[in-house]
Amino acid sequence: MSPAVRFYLVNERLILGGVMLIVVLLAWEGLERGWWASLLEPMAGASAERLRLKPIFISSPTLVLQAAYRMFFVTGEMWRDLAWSALGYSLGLGCAIAAGIPLGLAAGWYRRLSYAVEPFLAALNATPQVAFLPLIVIWVGTGMGARVLIIFLLAVLPLAINAHAAVRTTDPRLIAVARSFGASEARLFCSIILPSSIPFLLAGLRLAVGRGMIGVVVGEIYGSAAGVGAMISQSGARFETDRVFVGVLTIVAAGLILVELIERIERHIELWRPPA
Amino acid sequence: MQDHAPPPALTRLYKNNERLLIGAATLLVFLLAWEALAERGFIDPLFISSPTRVVLAGWGLVHDPDFWNDAAVSATEFCIGYGAAAAIAIPFGFAIGLSKRLQYLFGPFTDALNAVPRVTLLPLMIIWLGIGIWSKVAVVFLGALIPIAITTRSGVRTSETRFIRVARSFSASRVKLFTSVVLPGTVPFIFTGLKYGAGRALLGVVVGELYAATAGLGHMIAEAGNTFQADTMFFGVAIFMAAGLTVAAVLDRCERQFEKWRPDLRQAG
Repeated sequence: MSPAVRFYLVNERLILGGVMLIVVLLAWEGLERGWWASLLEPMAGASAERLRLKPIFISSPTLVLQAAYRMFFVTGEMWRDLAWSALGYSLGLGCAIAAGIPLGLAAGWYRRLSYAVEPFLAALNATPQVAFLPLIVIWVGTGMGARVLIIFLLAVLPLAINAHAAVRTTDPRLIAVARSFGASEARLFCSIILPSSIPFLLAGLRLAVGRGMIGVVVGEIYGSAAGVGAMISQSGARFETDRVFVGVLTIVAAGLILVELIERIERHIELWRPPA
Repeated sequence: MQDHAPPPALTRLYKNNERLLIGAATLLVFLLAWEALAERGFIDPLFISSPTRVVLAGWGLVHDPDFWNDAAVSATEFCIGYGAAAAIAIPFGFAIGLSKRLQYLFGPFTDALNAVPRVTLLPLMIIWLGIGIWSKVAVVFLGALIPIAITTRSGVRTSETRFIRVARSFSASRVKLFTSVVLPGTVPFIFTGLKYGAGRALLGVVVGELYAATAGLGHMIAEAGNTFQADTMFFGVAIFMAAGLTVAAVLDRCERQFEKWRPDLRQAG
């Protein structure tokens, strides 16, 4: 096997992914600069002009890069929007964790409580919770409060539902052993239920992180003055497509970082668990 | 000897239906408390409404042709977007699950799109497709496409390797291998994706219509919000809740239908 082929096979994933990315970026740039229109003109004639798109319609990778440079390093406005979004996100997600996990654990532990909250959880979970947003806006206005509330509402359900399932699926043999050695309820909860719940709780957290992102974006594009979502929405209304793309890509980056973070935490927590 | 008398009938009835009874009772208490607080003036019905007001508003709306027009627009957006997403995402998920190279090519895009709420793209869709139904169809489509494709892919990936090896050693053709081992093993994953995607699709309908629309139930809720009609807003939310529950129930039923032909492994073993 020649070294070139071996190099390709070892790095196939990176190479194919990179090639595709470059192809898409070039195709995009070409649409804005009219490369494809000029290229096809001899064959297709005037109809090739349709492939020459206006920058306000499609923008282009270089325009997006320029806009990103301006917004991050020249005017610095992006940092302010990011900080504002991050604040709402952390508050909403923090409240959801503080309320959802205890509620779910309690509902899993006390059967009657579970019967009482089940209908509410099931109904709310089937609803697209963002439909509550206009109601929230007339209750608390369009400021930070509305955003924290909608993020909370979106993130709390997966946390509570997973915590509930976690307690329910605890290995009954472990509970029986602890009971027969006379463990108190508190002891049972701390040393068996809680540790065995952690993978479920993390799975819930992973879902909640994604739902919270929806809350940030939707809460901000629907009537808010600051934040990345608001920036996207306002730029869209002014047809500043390059700024819209900067906002979207910033959110993509934030999402990827959050997913990576959760996976790190999961791996870290798995380390101390004795192998099953 | 202690005589074990059977528990009285009423207690037995309670014990057998405890779950239903407690659930219904809590729901009833919640609605009554809401109604009482609104009627006694502890909370302002202008903002919080009350169950009877919501029902009355709903009664008024179902006799209003505008409401049915809104409902039809929302349903159309959902059906076109979700239908197209399912039709494309399932074959696409199979393709990237079966071929490593296709996965390498498209992986960066599906992963990046999976990490963001697709509703972020709404302002772009509105620039490209206008504020009519097509921008919502696009958001619904993208919202549902990614979860369905990704779960289908992981379904293909996690096909039982032992089954594949057995089929291979009995020299099954690639087609046979696909239709009798990979496809059946993937069906539960596809349904998980379809359920998840349905939630995202409904979300797309709501957000798209709240953000910029001229018709649709989300538009109705937003309009009612601008004119402080909390009753209408709650009725709109209730419709979306009912839609979510219905779609989930329909998908559950389809899934059971698909499970029927599955041989019962426990019986065979």
